[in-house]
Amino acid sequence: MNRHVIEFEGITVRKGNNLLLDNISLSVSSTEFVGIIGPNGAGKTTLLNVIAGFEQFSGTLSLFGHQESRKRDRQTRLRIGYVPQLFQIDPAFPILASEAVVTGSIGRLGLFRSPGREEMERAMRLMEMMRMAHLADRPLGQLSGGERQKVSLARAILQQPDILLMDEPTANLDIAVQKEVLDLICEIHTRQDLTLLLVTHDVTMLPAAMRRAVLLDNGKKIYDGDIDTAMSSETLSRLFQYPLETFDRNGKRFVSYD
Amino acid sequence: MTENLVDILGSPLIQRAILASVLCGASCSVLSVFVVLMKMPLIGVSMSHAAFAGAVFAMLLGINPVSGGFIMCLITAGVLGPLSDRTDMAPENILGIMFSFLMGLAFLGMGILTRTKAGAFNLMWGSLLSLSGPDIAILVFVTSLLVLFVLFFFKEIRLVLFNRRLAAATGLPEKAIYYTVLFLTGAVVSSNLTTVGGLLIFALLVQPGATALQLTYNLKHFFVISTASGIGACLSGLTLSYIFDVPSGSAVVLMATAIFAAAYIFSPKRNATKLKEREHE
Repeated sequence: MNRHVIEFEGITVRKGNNLLLDNISLSVSSTEFVGIIGPNGAGKTTLLNVIAGFEQFSGTLSLFGHQESRKRDRQTRLRIGYVPQLFQIDPAFPILASEAVVTGSIGRLGLFRSPGREEMERAMRLMEMMRMAHLADRPLGQLSGGERQKVSLARAILQQPDILLMDEPTANLDIAVQKEVLDLICEIHTRQDLTLLLVTHDVTMLPAAMRRAVLLDNGKKIYDGDIDTAMSSETLSRLFQYPLETFDRNGKRFVSYD
Repeated sequence: MTENLVDILGSPLIQRAILASVLCGASCSVLSVFVVLMKMPLIGVSMSHAAFAGAVFAMLLGINPVSGGFIMCLITAGVLGPLSDRTDMAPENILGIMFSFLMGLAFLGMGILTRTKAGAFNLMWGSLLSLSGPDIAILVFVTSLLVLFVLFFFKEIRLVLFNRRLAAATGLPEKAIYYTVLFLTGAVVSSNLTTVGGLLIFALLVQPGATALQLTYNLKHFFVISTASGIGACLSGLTLSYIFDVPSGSAVVLMATAIFAAAYIFSPKRNATKLKEREHE
C-alpha cells in the first residue's frame, strides 16, 4: 500500500521580511525517493527543516497521516532520520566512528538506558554492510569527508527511520567519493524500504534510484514530477539561470555546461 | 618533618581547605568538559562575570553574595540560551555584549559599595583557606548535582556535545540538556565565588577540559582526566599558596596552566597527528 507519509498543504515559512517557502503543497508516498532540487537560497533546506521539526511554519503538515506542528512527539521524531551537510568536527573530539554510529540508537532506548552490546553489534553489522567496518575504532574527526558522511548515514539508519532526510549529503566531496556515497544511498533505499528526500543543487550528480524531482526556486515549487522530464535543458537553464545542456548516453541522462 | 606534616594535615582549617580544593576542582573541571567540547568559553566568562556582578549587588543589598551570584547567573542563562540559538545574530557578538555589560555592572556595584570593599575584592579571587561550613555544604550539593547529571544522562550528553541538531533529530530533549548545562554553569560559578573567585574561575572552566582534549578520544576518560587535572591543580595550588604564602586562587590558576602546558607538550594525540602528517609528506 503506497499511502502518503508526507503531506504539505500551503506550507509557508517566513523569517522576518523574507519568504523562505511560499505556499508549498506536496505529497510523498511511502518508499519514494524524491530529489529536492534548486539553486542556493531556493528553500530546499527549509523544506527539509519543516519535515524534521526544526522550523516554524504556517499551513498544514501531515506526517504518517497525523497533522503536525513544529513540536513533535518522540515517536514521530524517531521515524524521521536526518543526515546533515558535512559539518566541521574538531580532529581531537572524543568520539570514535563506531560510537558516532551508535548514537543513532539512543533515541529509541529512551532515558536512563545506555546502548549495550546489542546496539554495538547492530552498529557493527551496519558498518560492515556499508563497507566501513575498518573505520570503527578511528576517531571521527580524523576521517575524510566521505568517510564522515558514511558514518552519518549509518547513524541515521541505525535509528530505524521510515523517512530519511538528506541535506546535500555529497556537498564538498570529490567526484569519486560523491559517486560512492550516492551508490550507498541507492543501496540503502533498496534494502531498507525507506522514503528518501535528498536535497541537492548539483544536477550533474544525482543518484540513479531517484525517480522524482521537486524543483524549487525562490521558495516556490516550480515543478514536481518525473526526474527525466525535470532534467531538460530548458527547465534546468531557467532554474539555475545559466545555460545547461542535457544529453542521453547508455540509457542515462547527463547534464553539462560551458 | 613528618610530625610537622601530620600537625598541618590535622588542622581543621587545612582539612576544610583540602575539601574545598577537591570540590572546587571537581565541580569546575566536570563543567569544563562541556565548556570545551561545546565551544562555549565565552559563556563561561559571561557567567563568571554575572556571578561576580550578582554577588557585589547582593552585598550592596545586604544579602548572601552566593545567592545573589546564583540569581544573576540564572537570569544570564535565561537570556543567553535563547539569544545564542538565534541565527540572525553572531553568538560571539551577543556574548561580547553580555560579558562587557556584566563587567560594567560589577564595577558599578563596586563603585557604589562604600563599605566592606574588601569583601567584594575577595569575590574576585576567592580563598580556599577561609571557607565557611555553609560554603562547603553548597559546594557539596552543586558538585553532587553536576556529577549525577553526567552519570544519569551520559549518552544524551555525548550526542548533545557532538551535535545539538542531530540530538534534536534523534528525539532527544537537547534544549533541556543545554539549559541544564547553563543552569549548572551558574550554580558552579556562583558556588565557587568563595573558592577561586569570579575572575579566576574562568581558568578552571577551560583548562581541565583543554588538558583532557590533548590526551584522550574516549569521552568517559575525558571526564576523568579533566576532573583529575582540576583537582590536581587545586590541591597543588593550595599547597604552593600555603608554602609560599601567596593568594590561593592565583596559585591554582597557575598550576592549571602548567598542567595544561605539560599535557600539550606530551600530547599523544598531537604527536600521532604530527607523525601522520610527516608520513604523508
